[in-house]
Amino acid sequence: VYSQSTKLSLDFQGTKISDILMEIENTTDCRFFYQREQVDVDRIVDLKVTEESVGEILDKLFQEQGISYKIMDDNLILLTTNKEQAGTQQTTGNIKGLVTDKTNQPLPGVTVVIKGTSNGTLTDPNGEYHLKNVPSDAVLVFSFIGMKTSEKEIAGQAVLDVTLEEETVGIEEVVAVGYGVQKKVNLTGAVASLSGEELKSRPITQASQSLQGVSGLYVNQAGAQPGFDGTTIRIRGIGTLNSNDPLVLVDGVEYPLDALNPSDIESISVLKDAASASIYGNRAANGVILVTTKKGKSNEKTSIEYGNYFGFQRTIGMPDLITDPVEFMELRNQAQINAGKTSVDYSDDLIEEYKAGRLTDPYTYPNNNWLDIMFDDAPIQNHDLRFSGGSEKATYSLSMGYQDQDGVLMSSGSHRFTLNSNISIQANNWLKVGANVTGIRQYIQAPTAGVYNVMQMTFKAQGFHPTYLEDGRYANTFIKTPGHNVYRHPIVLAKEGHRDREQQRALVSMFAEIKLPANLTYYAKLGVNSYNYFYSEFVPEIEYYQVKTLEASTVDFYTSNRNRHLTTEDDRELNTTLFHTLTWDQTFNDKHKLKLLVGSSYEKFTSGYHIATIEGFLGNDLTELDAGSTNKDVSGDSSANALVGFFGRLNYDFDQKFLFEANLRYDGSSRFADGNRWGWFPSFSTGYRLEQENFMADLPWVSLMKVRASYGSLGNQEIGNFRYINLIDTGIEYSFGGSTNAGAAVTAYNDPSITWETTTISNLGLDAGLFQNKVNFSVEWYKKRTKNILRSVTLASQVGDLTGPVQNIGAVDNTGLEITVGHRNHIGKFSYEVQGSINFNKNKVVDLNDDEIISGKYITKEGYAIDSYYILEADGIFQSQDEIDNSAYQNSTTKPGYLKYVDQNNDGTIDDDDRIIAGDAQPDFTYSFNINLQYRNFALTTFFQGVQGIDTYPQGIVATPFWYGTSVTREWVNNSWTEDRPNAKLPIMTTYELSSSDNFRNSNFWLKDASYLRLKNIQLSYSIPKSILSRVNAKDLTIFVNGQNLLTFSKMKDFDPEKPITSDHYYSYPSVKTFTAGFNLKF
Amino acid sequence: CNDLLDIDPTSQYSTDTFWSGSDEQYAAALVGVYNSLMSNYLYFNGELEQATPNEISYNSANGTREIALGTALSTSSMFSSCWANSYKGIGRANTFLDYIDDADITDEDTKNQMKGEALFIRALLYSYLVDYFGDVPLILEAPASEQETWPRTAKDEVVEQILSDLDDAASLLPTSYSSSSDIGRATQGAALALKARVLLYNERWAEAATAAKTVIDLGVYDLFPDYRGFYLPDNENNEEVIFDVQYQSPDFLHRRDYECYNLNRWAPLKNLVDLYEMTDGKSIDESELYDPENPYENRDPRLHQTIAIVGYPYNGKTATSSLLYESGYGLKKLTVYTDDETQTISDNNSDLNYIVLRYGEVLLTYAEALNESLSAPNSEVYWAINTIRGRETVEMPELEAGLTKEEMREAIHLERRIELVGEGQFYSDFRRWGTAEELNNGPVYNYLGEVIETRSFNPDRDYLFAVPSSEIDENENLTQNPGW
Repeated sequence: VYSQSTKLSLDFQGTKISDILMEIENTTDCRFFYQREQVDVDRIVDLKVTEESVGEILDKLFQEQGISYKIMDDNLILLTTNKEQAGTQQTTGNIKGLVTDKTNQPLPGVTVVIKGTSNGTLTDPNGEYHLKNVPSDAVLVFSFIGMKTSEKEIAGQAVLDVTLEEETVGIEEVVAVGYGVQKKVNLTGAVASLSGEELKSRPITQASQSLQGVSGLYVNQAGAQPGFDGTTIRIRGIGTLNSNDPLVLVDGVEYPLDALNPSDIESISVLKDAASASIYGNRAANGVILVTTKKGKSNEKTSIEYGNYFGFQRTIGMPDLITDPVEFMELRNQAQINAGKTSVDYSDDLIEEYKAGRLTDPYTYPNNNWLDIMFDDAPIQNHDLRFSGGSEKATYSLSMGYQDQDGVLMSSGSHRFTLNSNISIQANNWLKVGANVTGIRQYIQAPTAGVYNVMQMTFKAQGFHPTYLEDGRYANTFIKTPGHNVYRHPIVLAKEGHRDREQQRALVSMFAEIKLPANLTYYAKLGVNSYNYFYSEFVPEIEYYQVKTLEASTVDFYTSNRNRHLTTEDDRELNTTLFHTLTWDQTFNDKHKLKLLVGSSYEKFTSGYHIATIEGFLGNDLTELDAGSTNKDVSGDSSANALVGFFGRLNYDFDQKFLFEANLRYDGSSRFADGNRWGWFPSFSTGYRLEQENFMADLPWVSLMKVRASYGSLGNQEIGNFRYINLIDTGIEYSFGGSTNAGAAVTAYNDPSITWETTTISNLGLDAGLFQNKVNFSVEWYKKRTKNILRSVTLASQVGDLTGPVQNIGAVDNTGLEITVGHRNHIGKFSYEVQGSINFNKNKVVDLNDDEIISGKYITKEGYAIDSYYILEADGIFQSQDEIDNSAYQNSTTKPGYLKYVDQNNDGTIDDDDRIIAGDAQPDFTYSFNINLQYRNFALTTFFQGVQGIDTYPQGIVATPFWYGTSVTREWVNNSWTEDRPNAKLPIMTTYELSSSDNFRNSNFWLKDASYLRLKNIQLSYSIPKSILSRVNAKDLTIFVNGQNLLTFSKMKDFDPEKPITSDHYYSYPSVKTFTAGFNLKF
Repeated sequence: CNDLLDIDPTSQYSTDTFWSGSDEQYAAALVGVYNSLMSNYLYFNGELEQATPNEISYNSANGTREIALGTALSTSSMFSSCWANSYKGIGRANTFLDYIDDADITDEDTKNQMKGEALFIRALLYSYLVDYFGDVPLILEAPASEQETWPRTAKDEVVEQILSDLDDAASLLPTSYSSSSDIGRATQGAALALKARVLLYNERWAEAATAAKTVIDLGVYDLFPDYRGFYLPDNENNEEVIFDVQYQSPDFLHRRDYECYNLNRWAPLKNLVDLYEMTDGKSIDESELYDPENPYENRDPRLHQTIAIVGYPYNGKTATSSLLYESGYGLKKLTVYTDDETQTISDNNSDLNYIVLRYGEVLLTYAEALNESLSAPNSEVYWAINTIRGRETVEMPELEAGLTKEEMREAIHLERRIELVGEGQFYSDFRRWGTAEELNNGPVYNYLGEVIETRSFNPDRDYLFAVPSSEIDENENLTQNPGW
């Protein structure tokens, strides 16, 4: 985007002035405002200027016509005649008034001009205007960007209030596309965008949350561990068998979304199809997310914005476990007997002792609910401060953010400081330079034994596992539970010692833009993204005491190989991006608009780390490497990879009706052997704006009607480094006679012939806006075929038990449909907006060389989705021994109440040959909708997200009953098979370890439907009236309350359905609902 | 621009550069072959004793409990880890053997010795594979993707290869190493002792006896006087050890001590304990010395040297039923725990070497093979078995003279089961003797004589492991064993 200080070079022969103005509008962000009666814009002129400012150009065009210009706020340029009306002086008077929008919000900055003159003013921050010496018969013209211009006769009044109507037609919204910007109406590819307005004042903790609701995106927000963004973003399904994460670019340079302060985001574009994304060919196969950070505006006084929120988080989706110790012991004994064991774990004596004991001695016989102990409501607060503005030559924006978030799980939390600064300077009439610095510094505290272990041990701890002795020392249980012999005290595992991470990331980039002769512009950007973190984990030695004997023992922290020890890690990454582009644009014969771009890019990624471990500390208090003494262990490594690309783009636009774009990209990656390194990735797209055609004039209710088509291919090389060389690993050691000998071995088999994976996307789209865009509608159909998929292939272990090679295998199709419908309107002072989208995606492997890849309970096979479940089919529950005898042989332990599996191949026995393909972990469709209401200064916004048809297969504690000495959910007590309950939902209650070969074989019985519909966000806000604000010179003050994840509808009961997509356990950090309140203030 | 994309690995060698390298690189590659032994021994061989009525493991994530109960499936991780870990070492040995002949190593003796070591390890790993799985793919070259579809080779053919590798190894390897930094490397004795075991397992009695005799005649090995002591850390690498897997803190650790003491895994069963003879050489049913009130008195001294019992000293205190909660017994052998001293070993902090081959086994192999090859036991048979019984700290009475071949066989079987308890051999022994279907079909008992669980051994299936179903998923040319 350019300001009016931009120097332009234009060359027009015999062109209408209106077209010249339009061209200036297209290349700068200036907007012209004039009266046709005064300014003859149909005049044909010749104009040739080189590197002149808009002002100079206007002088050339209009000086002799007696037309002058005036540059207003927001780059609005007013053209008026110089000649004061020389006619008879009429009576004049002062006039004032209030300009509001239809919701009665005052509109500041509205241009108010006396028709036929250059006299005018702007409304103040309260939307009020005052004009002196206005003829009593004059007509006032009110104009404002985005609003319909309104003319009102004064007719002698002294006060004239005006309500402006929104003018949605012709809003030239500009969105970021690869290496540039494009008017939204002229897009030919599938691009979704979010403007700053849509993102405003949503108290989101992670930038990725702002993507929720973008059509065609599936955003899974798993877990709420402070400092770790558990978000998975999928654009149009899973295309590859490697990383499916989209490429995220912040101001053109790769930068992770989770390191960005959400309040620094100005706008987001999501490039979904090949045509839009292919300019980033080498890593764009999973789509591209372009984030633009906030910039200052030229000729704008410094504005100061401050926003905050305060609130708390609460766990959601936690399981309903049996926590009563006596009930648990009895149930577990019963489960063992059900499974045919003759002896049980908890004797009658013990159970009686416990029943009596807990009445008098809660320390020895506790009744603990470990979920209550380990999880608690956790506060969160956030503050953001921004200064922005600009002079004629320079713009700036500086922001700082601070977020303090405790976690709902004991000993987890984060402090985050962010910084963003954007500066750009128009150095002279051909050079513009600028710099961006974005940085984050974050301290993250996690439970010492790690989230996974502490979650596991919390679920594992029973009601009889004690917390503290009466004297406050940590307590150990006197009850032995086979399978859970060692009580790993969750409080100790979380609180004692530390597991801290300090990380910082900085993106520093500079650009230069040089205007060259002949409409050429050269642009270059160098970006350095530097990341490093320091990790420190101290596992202390903590004693706990058996409640009865007071015998001391050491708590086992689940960290292998080491006693009390310290591990520190220093990790560094440096990614350098350099790209430059040359653009040329020209309009021929008024109607043919041509834009060419060529460029090249170079990216290098380097990383390295050191890890050091030491033992031999004298106590738990000094926790530096130098305070330890023995068993030192160090390791470290570094690696690098690089990408080089050349690209070009051609845009052609005929009369704003026919649009065409072509891209070509040639990419090289260091991840492939010389000879397989380079790939070509072309793409084409075209669009046709029907509403521009004359024949559409008969359908005035059609405000926008555009059809689009695109086709193109993209590359993917997201595999490990050096997978094309057969390597020998060092560090495969062995000890002879007590001393370590250096060792080496081949551990992986590699395939030198690997090359680019290619994704081809065809896209058809239709955008429509009806009734002044009160109704909008968009539909996209796509087919995405990924060929030469790069995948780690498993080798049969007989080939040296090597990690299999990465190979180009087969092809996968993702076919999908995205539909978005929106409607907005107002009834008096009440306005509303409803927007919904639904995205269907079907994933299918179309070619795998007739092979199939089976890995555990997953299969990848032609005709089915990637990683479909490949498991036995359960056919209800056996009711009698008779039924067992007359069915296929299951296992020697099978009894009434056990699951019955289907003998698919009718060989009389249930084995792996009876597996079927049953569902997959990819949703059939995702959908979202928001309903936003506004009445006067109140606004209520809601956002719902839903996922349908996704299967998950959880195992382990909670998911499986009595998993190695652990508990069971209430559902098993109420809904499992007994002789009296033959129609129960669940089979007979047994322990996992006694039934892993029968009831708990992998079968579709244990697949869980993780579909859900969730109220992700609801917010009520109130804007303080401008009339009050103006007294303290404030521009805006909005207060709000917000709730996230307040409602969830799902069949899944034991854990939050929005868990990590592919995990098959419940040990990840839980999801939370968040309540916040805060305000945003702008001066 | 292509130059910008030329980036080489900085912490790994490429195969092209590695094998043209120095002696040190070859030495390291051989170390890598030995390294594969650690995963194998710890997590599978000793564990298999739990699949016999010698021991029980309540909580066996690796599947031994299911094997013991007869409910295991072909997906059991015991089968797949045994298969994969064996082929890991075989692959590394094959790679090494492919390159060693052309290696630029000046000292021919060193080169021969290195070759012998790799051959020994390959033979060792194949010997387990054929014992557990029967026919297995026989792969003798460096891993290559085309091997992925190779079918199983007849067991006899694999055994022939093992024997030939061992003969080669025996001819290339020294009888012992002079440098202490070579302790733990394969020796001629190791190759011959393994050869004796393989021949015995394949009922090639006369050859087995000869091979065992060759080891005995080497004069390098002897019984360690202290039965408990030969498996204690202070006595590692003693004269009885022929080959072991070497562990060393802090880099090479395992968790056996922790599991035995804290988790009561490898819990011996009454089915085993009752078999220990009385000091008069008679069984508890026959001996007058047996007192049901004090059943653990006057027993074969190896009982208390091997097994911790409720009411007896163990790790510095008196063992209780809540400590030995699984069966009332605990395994002392293969751990660092003694009776009078208290030691706390945390998880994954053990470095006791795992003994693979020892002189005691060679004597038992000699006795069994010779007895089987003769019509009646001769004095050599008696000598071998009585040498075992006469160990300084055991001193059990000599076997009665004039036993028939069958009586002697019984005696040897019992002696072998008692002497080698916990070392993992019994799972192989009771299958080759055909006694598994009898011994592991029925209840197993704790120290109070209560039934813990009822075992099942399906003779139509359980003499061999299942070929892991994950391997059949990868290689459809692999056939499954009967019954699985």
